[in-house]
This record gives sequence, C-alpha cells and structure tokens, in this order.
Amino acid sequence: MTPVGLQSYLVLGAILFGLGAIGFLARRNLILMFLSAEMMVQGVAVNLLAFSRFRGNLGGQVLTLFMITVAACEAAIALALILMLYRRRKSLDVSLWQELREPDQDAVIDEEPLPLPPMEEPSPRLTPAGPAPQKREEEVSHV
Amino acid sequence: MTRVTSFLGENWTLLSPALFGFVGIYFLLPQGRRSRPLPGALLGAAALLLAGWLLVAAVGPLPESILFYAFAGLAILGGGLMISQKNPVHAALSFALIVLASCGIFLLNAAPFLMAATIIVYAGAIVVTFLFVIMLAQQAGISEADQRSREQFLASLAGFVLIGGLLCVLHRTYQNNDLDSAMATLRQVADANTPAEIKEIMGDPKKMGDPKKIRRLAMMEELKKQLPQEHTEIDNLEGDWARMDVPALTSRARRLLSSHVRVGSLVPTEKHLSKNSGVAPNDPDAWKTTSSGALTERLPARNVAALGKSLFSDYLIPVELAGMLLLVATIGAIAIAGRRQEALR
Repeated sequence: MTPVGLQSYLVLGAILFGLGAIGFLARRNLILMFLSAEMMVQGVAVNLLAFSRFRGNLGGQVLTLFMITVAACEAAIALALILMLYRRRKSLDVSLWQELREPDQDAVIDEEPLPLPPMEEPSPRLTPAGPAPQKREEEVSHV
Repeated sequence: MTRVTSFLGENWTLLSPALFGFVGIYFLLPQGRRSRPLPGALLGAAALLLAGWLLVAAVGPLPESILFYAFAGLAILGGGLMISQKNPVHAALSFALIVLASCGIFLLNAAPFLMAATIIVYAGAIVVTFLFVIMLAQQAGISEADQRSREQFLASLAGFVLIGGLLCVLHRTYQNNDLDSAMATLRQVADANTPAEIKEIMGDPKKMGDPKKIRRLAMMEELKKQLPQEHTEIDNLEGDWARMDVPALTSRARRLLSSHVRVGSLVPTEKHLSKNSGVAPNDPDAWKTTSSGALTERLPARNVAALGKSLFSDYLIPVELAGMLLLVATIGAIAIAGRRQEALR
C-alpha cells in the first residue's frame, strides 16, 4: 500500500492542461477562451506544487506565487482588452475579428442554422361565463 | 507500423480513458443543432471512472489518496463542464469549482498559504471580475458565438493526443517501483551498523537458498540494469556483502544513493546552490537522512515563515519586479478600458 505518488499529481496537471487547451481551441467566446487559458495555468500550478513537495524545496511554491501575481495582471489587462473589443463589435465572438487571419486562409462562415429558441406556451384564457357583475357607484369612485 | 501497434498494445490501459474522454468532449462541445450532450456526458463519466479505477487500483485507501481522488475528480469534472457550457456565467462558476478543487490539491501538497492566496485572488477577484464583464457584455442573453464551436473535432483530438502523450511519458518515467524498492533497501543498508543488521536486511550470503538472499541478488541485477554507469560499484557492493565488510558496504550504499539523484535529472553537480528554500537539489546529504522507502516530508511545517524567508532572500529581485508588474498592469488596464469617455466627448 503506497500513498499517492508524484505521478498522480502530474497526471492531474496534464489533464487540466489538456482540457484547457481544448477549450481554448474550440470555444468562440473571448471570455471562455481566456478562462480556458487560466485553467491551463492551474494545471501548471498543480505540477509545480507537487514537485515542490516531493523535492522538499520551496522553489515551486515561490514560482506558483509569482504565477498567481502574473495571472492577476493578465486578467486585468485581458478584461480591459475584451471590454474594448466588445465595444467595437458589440459581441464577444472571436470570429468577428477574422480579418486578422493570414492572407491565404479561408474565412470561417457559419452555414448551419442555430436551433430555434424554445416555443413559449401560450397562457390559458378563460371563457367568460354568466352575466358580468354590476359595478356600484362607490366601488368605481374608490378605484 | 508494428511499432505503433506494439506501442498501443503496451499502453492501451492508459489510452482508453483518453479515447473515451475525447469522444465525450467532442459530443459535449456546443455545436449548434447537432449538440448531443447526453451521450457526451455518459462517455465523459465513463472516462473519469475508468481513469480513477486504473489509478486507484495501484494505491491503497489512505486518507490522502481518498482526498486526492475527490479533489482531482472535482477539478476534472469542473474542467469538462467549463469547456462545454453554453452559458458563460455557468462556465465562470465551473471555473470557480476548478479553482476550489485545485486549492484542495494545494493543501495536500503542503502549501496552505498558496491555497489561501489562490482562493482570494482567483475565486475572489478574477472570477468575480469575469462575472462582472459577462453581465456587462451579455445583457441580451446567450449569444450566437456560445452555441457553436470552432473545429470541435480537431480541437478535442489535439487536446486528447496531448493528454495521451503526456500520460504515456509520465507512466514510462515514474513507473519504476523496482528501482524505488532497491533504493529503499540501499538506504537501510546505509544506516546499518552491525553485520547482524545487514543480514537482517539483505540475507546471509553464506546460507544457501535463503529467500531473502535470492531476492537481493535479483535487486542487484535490477540496479545494474537501471544504473549502467555504476556497474563496477554494484559488483563491489556484492563483494563487500559476501565478505560482510560493514563500513565499506555502508559507504558504497551511500555513494550509490547519491548517484541515483543524478540519474536522468538536470541537476547541476558542482555549483553551490542556496539552502534558503529548502534542500538544495544537488545536495547528496539530503538523501541520506531518509531511512524508509516511503516519501519523506522535508518541507518546513511553518509554511508562511519559510516562504517569506525564501522570498526575501533567494527571490528578492523577482518580488520587486512582481510589484512593478502589478503597478504597470493596473495603469495599463485603466489606460485601455477608460478610453471610451474621451471618444464620447
């Protein structure tokens, strides 16, 4: 019976890094792309701390501290940039900025229509039955 | 071609969860009308359970391993949720889940200060700022960009080829239980003082058919295979054992232990390295103090004090630079985001 080894922590870091890479490549929302990059940073932090513990040296923890600092700076700058890009195009879609691509690349055009929004059920209507109640003078005046 | 098939045959246990995860994530990514979240979720759960079963089979039900698998499962679940959510607000909350789960992992790795710092900075500041920006930018609801992915097949293929490759490399590098147990025995030998203790550890060389002795001879063969440059040293170790020369045996075991530190790692052997952050990586004394094969905890218990000592001795200039970077980033963010007022006037 052995405790959790260094390998398990490194595997966790690798999986977080890979999932973040997939999110960065596949998603089209600017904010989600940035969150995926932050997820990759978390994977690296897990790796560094595992090495720090298993080598008995605090260097990994210090490096992670600097990483958090840089991530905070990066988040501030990136959110400012995202806000500015949003003001230009009124959308967070990266595909709207695809004129920045290389000259020999083809433009990405969405051909498939999106699913229709779900139909709202009409609210039920009651058919009036019987004579309408007579309104008295003082009731009307109070309203 | 045969090399590819033999590689797949050796590593199919590692690659099958990655394959399940690949198909699961491919189905989970938003893709307009063709989204199929249910089979994707089932395949993703299968991948998670399969990977967990493969890993748990190797270790026992210790508190650390239970906590590790709970936090690791949460982190990976949050990762899968984050990249497959259509609503960016839900994605940001899943990111908070990833951060909290990896903070649990930080705590398991003896880093309480970093756990607190990560929760405050990430979950407290960054995620809240993200939510703020999302609310500001997406008042109309889920936009068109969130319902489609870009090249979801190629992206998930690339990600899982990366994960599968990393898993195989890690497996090949760290699956050396034989070498670890041999090193544990060598550590015991290095700490031994009398011939009786050596006989207790390695068996009696004069007794024929001693099971301990046969096991140790197999260990020597393993050591020769793993450390080919130390061939003569291991032969001499065997000779010392046959003659029961205890001082020579212990010193030789110490030398072999220190050579193990240098095998396959980028350790600067001659340079003087600082000891303010803990054990210097090229310090052979660090490896003599351990007496059992189990992991030794050498990080100081007073984490914050030790971290401060390390930051303000070894890493003083990086600390100053980090402060500078924060200032520059603040000014830059204000300069970039605050430009609208000028444009309006």
